[in-house]
Amino acid sequence: MFDEPYRWVDAINQRRDYIEEQLKRSSPVVAVSVEEGILLLSFYRRTSKIFEIYDRMAMGAIGHPADIEMIRMAAINTSHVEGFTRSSRDVSMRRLTMFTLSPKLKSSFEDVMSSPLIYRGIFVETGASPREDLFYELDFDGQVKPSKISAVISNGEDLSDRIRKMLPSTVLSGKEALPVLVDACVSGSLDFEEAGMDADGKILDEDLYRRKKELFLSEREPDIQLLDRRTGLMRSLPLPSMP
Amino acid sequence: MKITDSVKGASGSFVDLLKQHQGASPNFSVERSSSGKVPEIQATTILAFHFSSGVLVAGDRRATAGNRIMANRVEKVIEIDGRSVLAISGSPAQAIEMARVLDHSFRYYRRSQLDEMSLEGQLRLLAQLLKENLPMAMNGVGGVVPLFITFDPETNGPRIYFYDILGAHFEGTPFAVGGSGSLEVQGILRFLDHWGLPGGLSSLSKKDAIVLSLRLLETASYFDSATGGVQSGDRIYPVIKLVSGDGLETVGEDLLKEILETEVHGV
Repeated sequence: MFDEPYRWVDAINQRRDYIEEQLKRSSPVVAVSVEEGILLLSFYRRTSKIFEIYDRMAMGAIGHPADIEMIRMAAINTSHVEGFTRSSRDVSMRRLTMFTLSPKLKSSFEDVMSSPLIYRGIFVETGASPREDLFYELDFDGQVKPSKISAVISNGEDLSDRIRKMLPSTVLSGKEALPVLVDACVSGSLDFEEAGMDADGKILDEDLYRRKKELFLSEREPDIQLLDRRTGLMRSLPLPSMP
Repeated sequence: MKITDSVKGASGSFVDLLKQHQGASPNFSVERSSSGKVPEIQATTILAFHFSSGVLVAGDRRATAGNRIMANRVEKVIEIDGRSVLAISGSPAQAIEMARVLDHSFRYYRRSQLDEMSLEGQLRLLAQLLKENLPMAMNGVGGVVPLFITFDPETNGPRIYFYDILGAHFEGTPFAVGGSGSLEVQGILRFLDHWGLPGGLSSLSKKDAIVLSLRLLETASYFDSATGGVQSGDRIYPVIKLVSGDGLETVGEDLLKEILETEVHGV
């Protein structure tokens, strides 16, 4: 296989298609800067997908639970050893994603003789203010995409874009932002046509939309976490009452 | 290291994780030195007692080596994982390193296992660190005798534990003390709890508990040269922390200054 470049490229492409296919079953994870810190939200069927990694840092992920667990432990181990050896201020999400996790994911992805990691994640780090918050989307092939104010991961770029358009464009308080996030996450996950919406996500059939939304929520558990800017620790929040 | 190597930390033991990373591991054990005795930096008076709304933990700020005062701003009452307190007496170098290991261990366990380490697990971990430190202590350069105060969710209240140099630990009810100035403090606390205060120490209000702790540290410093008194001219005050169901609270210097002027020096 390695003697023939075409075969290697073909194997990589098949590997990519396989992973994307596996990720299709996943519900999105959304992270947004708010005044109090960073809000992370997802709805899950089996296991929680949002985790505290280190002081001021958290991860949201979709994919196979065993693969998520490997990346999560790699991030936790690296950050804790670094923080103990030097200082907690020396642990940064930029270094963790770009210099530690990304190269490992890339080499794992390109090692076509091993089983692939089914993983897509968001790493976030709170700063002194929302403008200083950091967001990194990390993909199964090692690609890192930094962003500001918010980040979304889902089973496809179309869905992520659709959710991004629904997110608040300014920094709100956690209380103000949470219903918007829940709505974006739920509405963005529904099939627009089947849920009574037009192509832009505008609701055309209120009754149909409400029933589809209730069905979505009844099949999943909400996972709402605030990475607190003041304490640097993550805490769980309840699902707000929805209209 | 492959990404699959990360599962090595699955036990939740931060100490084990450090041991896998050469150079990062704290090494509390040394062979007996043959190159002469190193002057040991020591401290202290530390104390903890139950009062009406939790446990008060206090410590002076002085570190000494023989008859030399090495520092007057040492923090001997250290927060661990934002939920517990370690009050240290003995060698600051070893004690502060133990506090760092404990802090990282509790956080690491919570994050990796998605659960809090049990109270027994926390107590055993500190005992293990003290046991590993025994060769240093026997060498005369690293003895540590701490107090550990934490909130126990099972009893819904804070608890005080004191350790010996070998790692044996016992619960302090209603108080525990440590350090070279502890003899006087221990006697006073015992007397007050049994005969001096109606309702004992645990009936004290927050303000009365702070007043008492400052008076105790002043008394300790009067008899023990290794315990730093209050140097209000330099704004060097003891560190006092309160542990309760609401979390940890550090008593501010402004309040300490006011209480010292009105209730300790001004009386």
